[in-house]
Amino acid sequence: MDNLVKRAKELLENKTVQVVIGYEAGPTGVIRPAFITDPEKAGKLIYNDKCDQNLAVYLTKKEVKNFGKMAIVATLPVMRSIMMLISEQQLFAESIVVLGISADGNLLDIADINIMQGYIEKSDLSNPEKYKALLAELNKLNPEEKFAYWQKELSKCIKCYACRQACPMCYCTRCTVEVNQPQWIPVQANTHGNMEWHILRAMHLAGRCISCGECGRACPVGIPCHLLTMQLTDQVYTYFKVYAGTSDKMNSVLSTFEPNDKESFII
Amino acid sequence: MARIGVFVCHCGENISATVDCGKVADTIGKLKHVAYSTEYKYMCSDPGQTLIKDAIREHKLTGVVVSACSPRMHEPTFRKACAEGGLNPFLCEMANLREHCSWVHEKNELTTEKAIDIIRTQVEKVKLNSALQPIRVPVTKTSMVIGGGIAGIQAALDIANCGHKVVMVERSPSIGGHMSQLSETFPTLDCSQCILTPRMVEVAQHPNITLYTYAEVESVEGFIGNFKVKIRKKAKSLDEKACTGCGLCTTKCPQKKIPNEFEQGMGMRPAIYVPFPQAVPNRPVIDKEHCTYYIKGKCKVCEIVCPTKAIRFDQPDEILDLEIGAIVVSTGFDIKHADFFPEYGYGKYKDVIDGLQFERLASASGPTAGAILRPSDGQVPKNIVFIACAGSRDPAKGIAYCSKICCMYTAKHAMLYKHKVHEGNAHVFYMDIRSGGKNYDEFVRRAIEEDYVNYIRGRVSTVYERDGKLIVKGVDTLLGAQPVEIVADMVVLATAGVANPGAEELAQKLHVSYDSHKFFAEAHPKLKPVETNTAGIFLAGACQNPKDIPDSVSQASGAAVKVAALFSQNGLTREPLVAFVNRTAPPMYSTCVGCFLCQSVCPYQAIEREDFKTRDGKIIKTVAKINEGLCQGCGTCVALCRSKSIDLYGYSNNQVYAEVVALLNEF
Amino acid sequence: MSDFEPKVVAFVCNWCTYAGADLTGTSRIKYASNVKIIRFPCTGRIDFMLLLKAFANGADGIIVSGCHPNDCHYTSGNFHAKRRWIMFKELMDFMGIDMNRITFSWVSAAEGAKWADVVNATVTRIRELGPYVSYKEMVDKSVEEEVKNG
Repeated sequence: MDNLVKRAKELLENKTVQVVIGYEAGPTGVIRPAFITDPEKAGKLIYNDKCDQNLAVYLTKKEVKNFGKMAIVATLPVMRSIMMLISEQQLFAESIVVLGISADGNLLDIADINIMQGYIEKSDLSNPEKYKALLAELNKLNPEEKFAYWQKELSKCIKCYACRQACPMCYCTRCTVEVNQPQWIPVQANTHGNMEWHILRAMHLAGRCISCGECGRACPVGIPCHLLTMQLTDQVYTYFKVYAGTSDKMNSVLSTFEPNDKESFII
Repeated sequence: MARIGVFVCHCGENISATVDCGKVADTIGKLKHVAYSTEYKYMCSDPGQTLIKDAIREHKLTGVVVSACSPRMHEPTFRKACAEGGLNPFLCEMANLREHCSWVHEKNELTTEKAIDIIRTQVEKVKLNSALQPIRVPVTKTSMVIGGGIAGIQAALDIANCGHKVVMVERSPSIGGHMSQLSETFPTLDCSQCILTPRMVEVAQHPNITLYTYAEVESVEGFIGNFKVKIRKKAKSLDEKACTGCGLCTTKCPQKKIPNEFEQGMGMRPAIYVPFPQAVPNRPVIDKEHCTYYIKGKCKVCEIVCPTKAIRFDQPDEILDLEIGAIVVSTGFDIKHADFFPEYGYGKYKDVIDGLQFERLASASGPTAGAILRPSDGQVPKNIVFIACAGSRDPAKGIAYCSKICCMYTAKHAMLYKHKVHEGNAHVFYMDIRSGGKNYDEFVRRAIEEDYVNYIRGRVSTVYERDGKLIVKGVDTLLGAQPVEIVADMVVLATAGVANPGAEELAQKLHVSYDSHKFFAEAHPKLKPVETNTAGIFLAGACQNPKDIPDSVSQASGAAVKVAALFSQNGLTREPLVAFVNRTAPPMYSTCVGCFLCQSVCPYQAIEREDFKTRDGKIIKTVAKINEGLCQGCGTCVALCRSKSIDLYGYSNNQVYAEVVALLNEF
Repeated sequence: MSDFEPKVVAFVCNWCTYAGADLTGTSRIKYASNVKIIRFPCTGRIDFMLLLKAFANGADGIIVSGCHPNDCHYTSGNFHAKRRWIMFKELMDFMGIDMNRITFSWVSAAEGAKWADVVNATVTRIRELGPYVSYKEMVDKSVEEEVKNG
């Protein structure tokens, strides 16, 4: 990844950006996010197949934005997150430089949003293969089994909200769970309340989830909560033939409509 | 501490026959926060209302639940009674015991229990109601009329005569619209221009009307009473103040071969022109697309001959910013032309013309000075065929609707022909004769019985040319679908009325709906035929669907009354059941995070952006803000908002949540 | 189960279904008294969380009803609601929450008889399904969990 380091160094040296968001190896070798502001330290940046965190989550964080213009190491899910953030007015295209990484790990030349859009449109935007298999398994269960499965999984939830914190699309400064007039989601962690939280989260991400799987990876107790949003990603495509994060001007599925939207359950 | 009063109505026996009202009042009276609970035979009667008013004062009630009929019936009655009793009217709710309970269930315990549940739910809701004040919106008492045809003229004159200012915007160089092109009008056969031109002059001279011709609407922002409109005044290449309208330039212009739009292409005009002799304003414009100077850079004959030096070749378009309170859209219609009909020769036969072209032929001021002459060779046609429903009522052509005016004008055309060519034969192919209207059917009968117009019920399959004649092949369905062939000298198609080009674009600028044919859509097909779904914008004339002159004029007067009613008060008062975005202390300002997905769900463009800035003008945060003048209170944004930053007065999150809990739990 | 009286909550819009239900009343058409109506300005206002809250508070069935497509008083609230319900239904199906307990319908202000049919069909179906035991058990268990965890 010499190209990545070279490009990051250049961007910092000629002051095009003030921070590069990327990956580095921590002291024990664990991959962690890096925020490089000193061109001399650009050499710390790495990219390999273990770099799977969706770094786009940092683009809306005040502490990172305060550095100034940002460059970000961006795999496909990160690029799609960027598109969503721009279309939802949380980010300006002018305030970032995208250091695109191709599926085989090479630095892409993403000069502007249009080129990024072109790259995204050429890519496979459906859920990643490993999750497709899990979803297929779950979809085979009967309703009782599904309900039992999710009750069992969600009973583990400790309401730490790591799933929310890790998600680039959960950028709200106040989440519904923090509303207490009325108390939409119970404060305590219990199966029923946890289920309400995860339904709420999935519905809020319907048509906005870009299938990075970060929520599931972030969960400290191993709840596959990413499957909830990914199931809806599948359904959004089935019904409305769109994938999230393909354009900086995209309309959210749940904030738009077509008069001839098809369904079969409304009598 | 809430003190709720509950008033259970028997509605004579309508409620008490199946609901045990006494038990209901007793049970509800024991609920926490219910300070007073009573029953009465007729709550809506004077004594019933007095009961409520007295109880409000006596028991210091903070909320009232009237348990009676549907709120759609008597909510205004009881809210008014509460207001008279000294309680904010929005602290009154109704429990629907009649339509939703006593009338639809048998007399038993369950029905009484349901009544209790319904009331309890409303008690919980009303506890969370807020005292609301009606919203006052200021109104700019200037209206804009878009389109200067007969509908626009009528609307403008009516509004202006009510004493209000009117701005009329007309796309073409003169007002008058299609009516100015017509020869005579049905069912009286009076001359169209004779009745129209005085009105046109009145518009131009009216002190309350400002007329902008050769102008188009550029953009419309804002809302009822407070529109901000930009108008593009296209350059006429003329100093209108200097021009006297002598017309010398138009006679001297060397470019004379431009198809005349007013004559429907049946005559020619120069590049500097007045559309027709009675045009208002009677000042020329230069058609830049055809003017030799604009094309080749030299000529300027008009400038040279102009006695008052009024020509301005370098005149730019002008953009005007106007503050407008109400808008009347009267942009009219267009017709399909002969090139739409492959079966009738795609317009390649010169003697197959459309209805408007026939109007010009028949018009005394037209290209033939009123003589009916074939366009191909100038001969008088001895046999003429009129084809009604050309395109209309033809789903295969994408036009399923009836164009409404064609039956009448076809009868008129046949009559005019017969009055001018006494020995000629007029044939009309029709599907049905639709002549509903005052003196309309009598008019058609006159064409048939007195002028001997030959009406053939059937459609024409094809028109083709043979030896300089037009062969019209059709059927006569009244003779058992017997084939009919007529050798004609001329064919007139009563082509379908369609939306004007640019109607869709204008609708989008105005944020009003339009139908699949691009006609503007009314707010309600029966009860709001003049309103659009955007408050403060009204419709007049054929921009809504094809209409004849009386219908257009009636609707225009209707639209004018709507405008005058709006302007009759100093401000608008609206029900305050609208959405709002919360505001918090800096540096947060609002829990809204500014994703603006709510903007795309709002059917009324009521969601605006509000910037919070530092003292030196740097934007700290941009959040959503509801325009109370535009919001209609549907609440779609409320349910969409992820951070629950939007709420709705009257149906707040707290209220509807409390209703769900109260409905399912006894406490 | 013969004495089981299902609790059904109806979430309806003010302009079509609420008015339609008024017409049911004016026409004196009888229907099951198990259904209780909550009035909203528009189906677009109905938060999906309210449906979950209804189940959590003991509802056995739910009706959601508004104006037919193209009839919305606010022109498009029902279209937005339709997309919302499509997503909600798919998520519920994926999680095994019983969508047979929710009826989605369009009932216009003129369809008083249809409203009675919708209610009766829903109540009959919920009677057959019985109380929503599995959801209630989860809610009850959750209350216990809370007590146990202090």
